[in-house]
Amino acid sequence: MRDFVVPKTDTKILGTIELEYAFKLTAHYDPPQESHTPRGTFRYQDIVSGEVSGARITATVYPDSGGQYDTVRSDRVRDVDAHFMVKADNGEWLYMEHVGYRRTDGYYRAIAYIETDLKGAYEWMNNTTFVVTAKESADQREVVFYYYIAN
Amino acid sequence: MSAVNEGTGSNDESISRRRFLSGATTAGAVALSGLTLSDEARAQAAAGHTGDAALPPNWFEGPDPSIPKLGLRWAFSATVFFADRVMINTMDSPSGRGYTSVGGGEIWGPRLQGRVLPHSGADYYKTTFTTYYMLQAADGALIFIHNRGTMRRFAAHYERGTPLLPPPAPPAKQDLVWTRFRATPQFTAPVGPHEWMSRTVFVASSQRQANPDHTVFTYYEVL
Repeated sequence: MRDFVVPKTDTKILGTIELEYAFKLTAHYDPPQESHTPRGTFRYQDIVSGEVSGARITATVYPDSGGQYDTVRSDRVRDVDAHFMVKADNGEWLYMEHVGYRRTDGYYRAIAYIETDLKGAYEWMNNTTFVVTAKESADQREVVFYYYIAN
Repeated sequence: MSAVNEGTGSNDESISRRRFLSGATTAGAVALSGLTLSDEARAQAAAGHTGDAALPPNWFEGPDPSIPKLGLRWAFSATVFFADRVMINTMDSPSGRGYTSVGGGEIWGPRLQGRVLPHSGADYYKTTFTTYYMLQAADGALIFIHNRGTMRRFAAHYERGTPLLPPPAPPAKQDLVWTRFRATPQFTAPVGPHEWMSRTVFVASSQRQANPDHTVFTYYEVL
């Protein structure tokens, strides 16, 4: 391995980040199906339906467009990986990807990445980083996600 | 300042690396065997970290109290120096792929100190960046970072309550443009003092600096 000499710089903490609340999404899932894999317990939940509401968007989750594909780790934290499609009330489509963790207290922290029409009403979501918090219902069939823009 | 720098004037709590290093007071013996750190990083690691309260968290809330609050707290910063820059095809091609290799760098801040493992990976970017490389904490622990980034340009720096507007069409003065550059890392840290990084979501601001070619990442822990 080559070595590296760190040059002299006087760098600073640069750039604060401000979160701005955007919308919430209520996801309705089928019961989880678990399987044992070399990586740990794989946990699949089909997304049956869902609703998106906020000042700048009203939409529904496209039924069976994906779901949550989590892995339960040895420390009982779940690696969360959720993918599905959303259709806005103006007919435009959005792809939503969520990557994060469900901690053992039932609360989630995740990052969401959204891709949508470059000429559409929700173009502002492209290349926008969303910080997400969520809470699972006791029966694990409903998860409410809250999305904040990382400005 | 290059065109991709963000406005920095709004950060009243800006702390320079040197000031952070000189302000570290907690005594603590840290094993540094086999690590090549700069004098500053070595001094910082030997002094231990200043604790979680180095900067207070910022809490954000929605328009009604049913929406859970989210907090951000500065965890650490990384000064990453780049070596090679290569482009396969062009950025506007579907097969466009950039390669910017990581030469090395330093990690400094309240919750992690150490270095970027020299020549341990790169940014293999398309229109968004995707980096894979290794960090090495002052105790020697190897931490894998997979970092995804997004970037958008706006006419002015974000201000709460004010909508963000698109930048003026080129050729506009670059100082009229604010580039919102956000990085979202996933860390794989070994069981032990750094394992909290494997269950924590982070969001970072990222600013490219010239002479020498480096980027400063400021990592905030999502509380």
